[in-house]
Amino acid sequence: MDALDVETFFVCDDEQQGRNLMLELLKEWGFCDVDIVFAEHEGPGVRVRGRAYAYRPADRYGWLLREAAARAGACNE
Amino acid sequence: MSKKVLLAPLDPVHDIGLKMVARGLKEAGHNVILLQPDLSSEEIIEIVYREDPDVLLLSRTLGYGVGELLARFIDLADAAGIREKVKIGIGGMAIRRELAAELGFDAGFGPGTTVEETASFVEGREYNPDPTRFRKEKADMTAGYDYRYQHPAIGDKLAKISEMIIDWVKDKTSPGVERAKLRDEIWDVDKWRRREGDNDLHKHYPRLCGEIPQKYYATGELHPKTRRFTIEEVRGLEKYLEETKARMSVLKLQHTRKKPLVFNQYGTGCPFMDIGHILTSEAWGADGVVHFDPSWGARTEGFLDGFLTHQEDGTVITPANLSRIQLALEKSTLWQVRAHRGLNTPETVVLSGKVGADLTKINICYGALGAGTDPARMTVDGYHAILYARKYKMPFDIVTNEELAGVPAYKAFAGMLIGCDLAMRLGAKPILQPLFAYSPEVMINEYMADNYVDFNVGKIKALRAIINAPLWPGAPIGFLTHTEDRVQSAVTTALHACLALSLEVDAISIASTDEAYSGGPISVPAKVDTLRAVRDGFRFFGHGSITPTKQADTFAQGIVDGIERVLDQVIAKGDFVQAIHAGILGSREEGAYPGRIGKDTVSTIKS
Repeated sequence: MDALDVETFFVCDDEQQGRNLMLELLKEWGFCDVDIVFAEHEGPGVRVRGRAYAYRPADRYGWLLREAAARAGACNE
Repeated sequence: MSKKVLLAPLDPVHDIGLKMVARGLKEAGHNVILLQPDLSSEEIIEIVYREDPDVLLLSRTLGYGVGELLARFIDLADAAGIREKVKIGIGGMAIRRELAAELGFDAGFGPGTTVEETASFVEGREYNPDPTRFRKEKADMTAGYDYRYQHPAIGDKLAKISEMIIDWVKDKTSPGVERAKLRDEIWDVDKWRRREGDNDLHKHYPRLCGEIPQKYYATGELHPKTRRFTIEEVRGLEKYLEETKARMSVLKLQHTRKKPLVFNQYGTGCPFMDIGHILTSEAWGADGVVHFDPSWGARTEGFLDGFLTHQEDGTVITPANLSRIQLALEKSTLWQVRAHRGLNTPETVVLSGKVGADLTKINICYGALGAGTDPARMTVDGYHAILYARKYKMPFDIVTNEELAGVPAYKAFAGMLIGCDLAMRLGAKPILQPLFAYSPEVMINEYMADNYVDFNVGKIKALRAIINAPLWPGAPIGFLTHTEDRVQSAVTTALHACLALSLEVDAISIASTDEAYSGGPISVPAKVDTLRAVRDGFRFFGHGSITPTKQADTFAQGIVDGIERVLDQVIAKGDFVQAIHAGILGSREEGAYPGRIGKDTVSTIKS
C-alpha cells in the first residue's frame, strides 16, 4: 500500500556501516525514497530495518490507478 | 574545559530529550542555555548571534517537512555567518544521521542517543561507550538453596524411590556408561588441545560405539549430513572472531533486578553459524546459551570426532566442535550442553565438563517417556550422568518436556522430583525446570481459558511448597503460545518472561520469534527480537509484579496432591523402571511411550 520494510542483521563494524549497507541494498533494488527506520549495533553487527516508500501521501497510488503501479517507488532519473 | 551551549527545540512542543541533555551538560560543568519550544529559525539564529555560544544543539521530534526545515536553518546560519564560529548538532526522534550529514550539520543524533554521546560532541572528544557499564559476572543459580523439603511427606516418599533406584542401578552398566568411564579416565582435554593426542582413547572407544561412529573410526566416513570444515573456513572463523571480539560488549536485560538469568538455545547444525548466533545473543543480553545437538545424536551410540558441520537442525557433539564454541564464549556467559535424553547422556556430561561447560541437562523420566530411550538404559545412564555432573561441578536442570506430549504437569513434576531427590542424594546440584506452556493438558482442561498466568503461577507455587530448590522455567517459556508472526511471538515471550520475573525464579529459557516457524533454521534477527522484547518487559516491570487470581492457589494444591499420588503409586510398584513402563509417570493414553532405543543394552556387572 505505501512502503516496503526490509529487516535483517548485517555483520559490520558499526551502526553507520550497517545503515549504509541497508540504504545501498534498497537503492540497488531500484528504490530511491529510502530510509532507515531502526538500527541498533552491538558487537557482532547491526539489527536494522530499512524502508523504501512506494507511495507518499498525495502520490498517484498503484492500488487505485493501474498505470501508476509499475512506477511505484521507482526513481525518476 | 567548560563550553557555552545553547539548546533549542526546533519544534512546536517537544523538548523533553533536550531538557535531559541540558541537565547532563549542566552536571558536567557546562554553561547551558535552554530555549523554549516553538521559536522560529530566525528567532533562534538571532539568539545565537546575541549569546555567542560554542555549541548549538537543536532538536526536532515531528517528522513532516523536517528536511526542508533543517535545510532552511542551515542556509540562514550560513547567511548569518555563525557556521564558522558555532558547532551545530541536531538530534531528536525525527533525525537520521544521514540526513544531518547531508545537510551539513556537524553532528546528527538519532533516537536512542545517550547524554554522554552528546557531551562528547560538545567537548570535542571521541565517543567511547563505557565498556564497564554492562560488565557481567557468571552467576551460580544454585547458590542459596538448601534443597530442604517444605513438604516432609513428599520428601519421605522421594527418599524411598531414590533408594529403590540406587539399589537397582548398583550392579548395572551399559555401553554409554562404559564410554563415559573411558572418556573420564583416559581423555586429557589439555593434552588434546595442545594436539598431543588422545591418550589412545580411540584404541578402545570404537568397540563401545554404534555403526556410524564405528565406520567413522575405521574408514573416516562421516554421517551423510555432515562434512569437515576446510582450512580456509577455519581461518575465516578466526579472523571473524578476532574482529568481533575487539568490539564486543554485552547488554544487561534485568534492569534493576539480578534475576531471572536469560538463556537461549543455539544449534543451527553449523558450529560457525552457532558462534555468530551466540555472539549476537550475548551482545543483546543473553546470560547463557544452550547447545542443541541433532536428534540422531541421541539415538547413536558414541560420538564422532573432528570439526564438523551439519546440514540439518542440531550441532553435532564432538570434542572439536564443543571446544571451538567454548573458546568463542564471553567470559560471563553460562554454557549448557544438554545430555538428558539419549544413548550418550553420561559421556556428554564428561565431555562437556572437561571442555568447560557450566551446566548440563539430565532427566531420566523425560528421556525414557518423551525422547525415545529405553527406561532401563535411561535409568542406568542417567544415574551415572548425575555422578559425573557432580564430579565436573555442573549443576543441571531437569526438564519436564513430557508435558508437551500430553502428560499432566503433576506427573511430569513427580518424575522431575524423583530425579531431583536422586541427584541430591548423589551430591549433585539439580535445578527444577517446569514448563511455562500452553500444554495439551491445559488445552483439554481449559486451565488457561481466561489467562496464561494462573496455571504457570500454580506450578511455581506447587514446587516451592515442596522443596527449596532453584527454578528455571523453560524451555522455551510460552511454549505453544507462539505463532509465526514476529510481533506476536516477541510479545508472548516477553509476557512469559515478565511472569517469571514477577515470580522471582532463577532463570528462564526464551525462544526466538522463529519459534513457531518450521521451514528452516532460526535466524539471528529473530533472536535479537525476543531479547529486545524481554529487555523492554523487564524495564517495564522493574521491581513491580504480576498478580494472579485465586485460581493459582487451587492449581498449586491440585498439582501437589497429584504428585503425592504418583509417588505413592511408584512406591507401590516397587520398581522405578517398571513404574515407567506401567505409565505411572505418564501413560500411552497421555502421549508418553516408553522408549525403545538402547533396549537390552543394560548388562549386569559380574562381581
